[in-house]
Amino acid sequence: MKTKKLLARLAQFMNKDRATQREELEHIREVLKKLKKKEQRLREKLDSEPDDEERRELEGKLEVVHAQRTKGLERVKAIRNSRRESAGDPAPES
Amino acid sequence: MRRILLVAVFLVLGYGLWVSPDLKEIAAGVALFLFGMISLENGFKSFMGGALETALRRSTDRLWKSIGFGIASTTLMQSSTLVSLVTISFVSAEMITLAAGIGIIMGANLGTTTGAWLIAGLGLRVDIAAYAMPMLIFGVILLLNRSRVLKGLGYLLMGIGFLFLGIHYMKEGFDAVQEGFDLAAYAVPGLPGLLLFTAIGMTVTVIMQSSHATLLVIITALAAGQVTYENALALAIGANLGSAFTTALGGLTANVGGKRLAVAHVLFNVMTAAVAVALIGQMAWAVDQISGWVGIAEDDFLLKLALFHTLFNLLGVVLLVPFVRPLERLLIRYVHFAPPPAEQPRFLFPESLKTPATAVTAVRNEVAHLYDNAHGLIAHGMSLRRRVIDSDASLSQAVRQTRRIMPLDVDDIYETKIKSLHSAIVGFIGEVHAREVSERWTEALYDLQQASRSIVEAVKATKHLHKNLSRYGISSSPPVREHYDGIRLQIARLLREIGELRTEEPGSVTILSLDSLKIGLERSSRERMDSINRMIRDRQIPPHIATSLMNDEAYAYEIGEKLIDASRVLLQSDEPGERIADERLALDDRDIERIAQGSKPAPGAAGETRP
Repeated sequence: MKTKKLLARLAQFMNKDRATQREELEHIREVLKKLKKKEQRLREKLDSEPDDEERRELEGKLEVVHAQRTKGLERVKAIRNSRRESAGDPAPES
Repeated sequence: MRRILLVAVFLVLGYGLWVSPDLKEIAAGVALFLFGMISLENGFKSFMGGALETALRRSTDRLWKSIGFGIASTTLMQSSTLVSLVTISFVSAEMITLAAGIGIIMGANLGTTTGAWLIAGLGLRVDIAAYAMPMLIFGVILLLNRSRVLKGLGYLLMGIGFLFLGIHYMKEGFDAVQEGFDLAAYAVPGLPGLLLFTAIGMTVTVIMQSSHATLLVIITALAAGQVTYENALALAIGANLGSAFTTALGGLTANVGGKRLAVAHVLFNVMTAAVAVALIGQMAWAVDQISGWVGIAEDDFLLKLALFHTLFNLLGVVLLVPFVRPLERLLIRYVHFAPPPAEQPRFLFPESLKTPATAVTAVRNEVAHLYDNAHGLIAHGMSLRRRVIDSDASLSQAVRQTRRIMPLDVDDIYETKIKSLHSAIVGFIGEVHAREVSERWTEALYDLQQASRSIVEAVKATKHLHKNLSRYGISSSPPVREHYDGIRLQIARLLREIGELRTEEPGSVTILSLDSLKIGLERSSRERMDSINRMIRDRQIPPHIATSLMNDEAYAYEIGEKLIDASRVLLQSDEPGERIADERLALDDRDIERIAQGSKPAPGAAGETRP
């Protein structure tokens, strides 16, 4: 029983990187969800905004949210690939 | 007052120790016991790190959890004073609600009764001095280590060792007194005795600043027959009252939240004591009955005293639980202290230094206060009323309609409302650093100090900008006026947007919104610089005005940049996971530059994936 426990602890220690990555993945996904909602809200606002100056402001904000979501998705992809590689699976061809 | 009391205690004790060797032993016992408690507190502080703070934050969403936390932490640490003072610092830093604080204090009152059981049930029946010596030896060895955990363990062991030694000396002292004369002869029966001994118990606790030490004296005196059972009950009630005053003294140095909690603690303990005094007969009867059920011998007055102590504190909790919310409302409504003027710190109190978490929160709140001061000053510096910026009114209209630039002594306001607060923040951070804080908190403090500096720099830039704004802000030359209107509008929008973000919940999406402000700032600045160059080329403005416009453009950019930097720190989430997500998704300088220029991302760069 003691050896088993020790081995489990060792495995946990070795997988620390994986655990950190999983945690990061979860947090980024959470933020991406919120950003998607924000993007939708901004689009709705833009559709009903008659003022040109305000429209330009909203378009600028949309552009930023879009860029942030893109960065987030890139990061998610990178983490997934690295997890696959460490598990020994080949990365799917894009 | 404190000095006079100290001198009086010294004189009385000095005389007592000189005439009575037995008193020497009892007093040494109390001193060792108190020193043990101090060591125990030190041990828990360094050994537990942030565990106490984390547990405290998580135990506040339900009243029963707050009470449970109070009971558990006080039972574990055997110091209701420590738990109460940490709770006051949390309420002061607005990290937990007042109701949650009241719950913890109630629990701490109940948790402290376990001390009486330990002393009565174990301390006086077993030869604990034999255990004290090894604990002190191992404790000192551990204390010599560098590791914080081992040091903390050393303090804990030494604390328990000294507590045991203190109990032993007191026991010996009272046993010796018993052979000489009988203090119980001075017992006062009836209501006068009850009130007199309650007052004595309270006074002794206020002087020793520990209800545990008072209980130890009561229990050992009772065991030696130097005090009657009835008078011991009154002394225990007094000890409870005294502990509230110790907390009240701590609360005096806190802000209004901490003061309200200290008032709640005093009210709770006074009410509990009043009920106990009024129902002393019934309580004593209940103790006898329960003792019979649980197998406590009829003449075992030590355990009966411990039971009484638990029972009357439990009664207090049961009576007050339904009224915690109304009490909170009443305290918020009626307990007011004039808020300090805007130029004085509102959150930096010695109480906030109790834990790194409260200290960092206090600094964050104070930097937010500094930001508020700067917000008002910069708004006026742009010749706009603060209420216009904080409302939904059209800013471009407000800027266009400005007929005169508000006269403003920026230097004076900088000295009184900005520099003094910034200095207080820097000084307080220095005090926190003087204590042992982990890397996580050091980093947080560094960021906050930078944020404070950014605010100061934004205000300094406003000072420079305001000089030219007074001269050219309502210029009759349309291109010059238009340029300054653009600067004012830009800064006003920034102040409004940051203000709106600050009312939202801190978190990733809020902080990521700052990126669009940065891009907006970058774009506007570029457009205005292009416009200045065009004006020079077309000879619309003379060169000396053009250089003023260029300088002011740089000041406007600096104001915007520094305000965004400071807000980034203030809006940051406490969750490390969310912080990492922020860092990953936030746009870097290259992204900002690219978007501000309006260009598409390079092939292979992040922009290729369609979200």
